[in-house]
Amino acid sequence: MDGQCCGPGFKSPQEAIKAPREKLLYTIAIYTGTGIQKPDYLATVDVDPDSSTYSQVIHRLEMPGIGDELHHMGWNACSSCHDDGSMSRKYLILPGVRSNNLHIVDTATDPRAPRLHKVIDGAEIKAKADLSGPHTVHCLGSEIIISFLGNAKGEAPGGYLHLDKEFNIVGRWETSMGDIKFGYDFWYQPRHNVMVSSEWAAPNTFMPGFDLEEVGHLKYGRELHFWDFEKREPVESFYLGEDGLLPLEVKFHHDPDSTHGFCGAALSTNVIHWWQDDAKKWRWEKIIDVENEMHPEWPIPLPGVMSAILISMDDKYLYLNNWLHGDMRQYDITDPHNPKLTGQVFMGGLLGKAPIVNDVEVAGGPQMFQLSLDGRRLYVTTSLFSTWDNQFYPEIREKGGVMVMIDCDPENGGMKINEDFIVDFGKEPNGPSRCHESRYPGGDCTSDIWL
Amino acid sequence: MTMYTVTIANRDGAQYCVDARRPLLETLREQGVDLPFGCKYGGCITCAAKLQTGAIDQRRQVALNNRQIANGYVILCVARPTSDITLEIGVESHDKLYRNPFLDPLKPHELKADIATPKEG
Repeated sequence: MDGQCCGPGFKSPQEAIKAPREKLLYTIAIYTGTGIQKPDYLATVDVDPDSSTYSQVIHRLEMPGIGDELHHMGWNACSSCHDDGSMSRKYLILPGVRSNNLHIVDTATDPRAPRLHKVIDGAEIKAKADLSGPHTVHCLGSEIIISFLGNAKGEAPGGYLHLDKEFNIVGRWETSMGDIKFGYDFWYQPRHNVMVSSEWAAPNTFMPGFDLEEVGHLKYGRELHFWDFEKREPVESFYLGEDGLLPLEVKFHHDPDSTHGFCGAALSTNVIHWWQDDAKKWRWEKIIDVENEMHPEWPIPLPGVMSAILISMDDKYLYLNNWLHGDMRQYDITDPHNPKLTGQVFMGGLLGKAPIVNDVEVAGGPQMFQLSLDGRRLYVTTSLFSTWDNQFYPEIREKGGVMVMIDCDPENGGMKINEDFIVDFGKEPNGPSRCHESRYPGGDCTSDIWL
Repeated sequence: MTMYTVTIANRDGAQYCVDARRPLLETLREQGVDLPFGCKYGGCITCAAKLQTGAIDQRRQVALNNRQIANGYVILCVARPTSDITLEIGVESHDKLYRNPFLDPLKPHELKADIATPKEG
């Protein structure tokens, strides 16, 4: 599956698209904040339609203790070390947002039954790097960088932890955080020596739940930051204002020559697009603005809350969610300045448009998603973060999370919920859990970067 | 060593004797009480319990807003008892901990301590 070379990943995005179909999928599932006193776990989901256990959880790797709140995860290696025969995509790194622990999971020895390789203790990270609230994991050639949203006391802006390939703490990755107020997601495009980072809030602000009033008190972010990637320091920031409240997920085009990138501003429910113009100057614009909707029983308009975006491996489609409205959307971004809505489906949400999907009552709305490398299957989960779930969708405590598959048409556009696939995490052996980010053993649409 | 008695109202009134100088999460878990927790430094709310009677010192917590404090919530990972206390623990005690922020806004005096303004009148 690794194309012509000997290292992990693929020679190019075009090669990745031609990879064999995914047969397994990993998603984290949490009990933290649910009332069930069990560890969070990494679930293996069978996504091979020819298998007798298709659309089922076939393995659960429990973390050593309770209270981690697993959230996002990342690989030890990706296509950025495709030329390095000494590397392989063997380990998945699972940070605990609340515990600060980093769990290193071996997925290669038995891909169906991943095993715990190592735990980097959260207290050690606080002591050595003064960081807490881990979020995004990217590999950096043969090494690893992880964004943390706070210092050891949970105060913004945090910084970046640098691990070597043996998972030893090297220290802080960045030279400086400059004037950055908050951290969250990041993505880099090495051929242009650029990294872009976004802003959520301090762990002490977002972990206990969402106090809307704190947005007005500037406790949540509204800026994007452009870094000199080699010098490891921010060089330019864009203040997005009311158009960019809570700028969360950051994605560049997969094409390593492209300067186009996108960010979903969750509370404003907008997509921000940036690019470098002919004078090598970074520019930004709002290209998608999801209007607020009236809830049948609420006195105030409801924002969509776009907590995630994803770009298909061919850079043709952008997918986004509206966690509170309940819809997933597909936009054709062939012209990134002029996206065209080409698909939309509802699953859950507060507007009551699709309370039941494939006979399962959906608590929550579309939240995290992972697309197959060929762009045809989008796996979508419904839980955002335990405390925020508890505020907006309290029934998720009894019903748990759900994983849905949406069939996507990469040629003509369009999306449709697959009627043969659903994983109901409300029926897990230890009680209802909540699934969040998903990844494939061979690499996925949110992991790989090309040098 | 100053010791106080902790009564757990929603565990059939079970009683535990704890050291006043140490956080309740530690002293209760050591005695076998199964409690939720997350960050263990007072920042994440996962271990919140409701104080029914008595008094505690939770100066180190940074997770609760003033409405949650007014509703009796305490952050067990940093809270220490300053008298005998009665607690309601676990998610059964979380009925007023989480609110929909679009339907039920906080008043200025109900925000977190660092941004709250004093209650008028």
